[in-house]
Amino acid sequence: MNTIAKIKEWFPAEEVEAHCDGPCGVYDPAAARINAEAVLSMTKKILALEPPAGSDAKAWAAYLNTMARYIQIKEDQAHKAKTELLVLWTDYFKPQHLEQHPDLHDVFWKAAKLCSACKVEVNLEKAQELVDTVKKVHSMFWATKGREVTFYTAG
Amino acid sequence: MAFSKLKESSWRELLLWLSGFRKRFRVIGTSMVPLLRPGDEVLVNPRAYRQTVPQVGDIVVSRHPYRVDVRLVKRICNILEDGRCLLEGDNPSDSTDSRSFGAVAPQRILGRVTSRLPR
Repeated sequence: MNTIAKIKEWFPAEEVEAHCDGPCGVYDPAAARINAEAVLSMTKKILALEPPAGSDAKAWAAYLNTMARYIQIKEDQAHKAKTELLVLWTDYFKPQHLEQHPDLHDVFWKAAKLCSACKVEVNLEKAQELVDTVKKVHSMFWATKGREVTFYTAG
Repeated sequence: MAFSKLKESSWRELLLWLSGFRKRFRVIGTSMVPLLRPGDEVLVNPRAYRQTVPQVGDIVVSRHPYRVDVRLVKRICNILEDGRCLLEGDNPSDSTDSRSFGAVAPQRILGRVTSRLPR
């Protein structure tokens, strides 16, 4: 079948994908990381924001406005983080991956719970724990592809 | 689901290809291992489903439901009542398929894989 080998070489065939993660790039834990980092950043900002000393109405309006914005961003980003995590958990990860990562469900359950806790509370430890748990998801995700990808954080 | 074998291209298949009744594709990726390895080439009958309907177990080349420029090679693992097909890789841990993107309309199927060219 030497002729076939020559044909293959001289007349390359069109390609068909026996996977599509690569070209699609649909799933990536980076989105959850960015959201979780924003939650941590907003938690820090909320805790650091000083209320005005006097009773100046303008100063209080500015303070409350800034505080409300921080809170809203924290709320939104925690929810987005949860959505991103659930998509990875239910769409990307397959039963086969459980064999590789027996703690997969625990990690996702904990991560989703931390998203909720970070909405309800202004808790620096939990916000940091959320980032750390997303890092675990990141490691599991890339391990299923046999790749090691650095977990970059903005902070 | 029983994984059917895929025959190596016979002279008849090669003649059909030379006369334009088969299309040739090269496989990339590992979602159809061990049946198809990366770099394998297959012959596809684009007219396979003109007279008959797709069958569970058929290996097909299909357009990706959301990426028209991406062609997939997968196996039909189920057919819904409305005729849409569920596609799955033989090697599910390394495959993105109907488990993620849902059922595929039969019009998106470009043909049935009829044989594999000798390695």
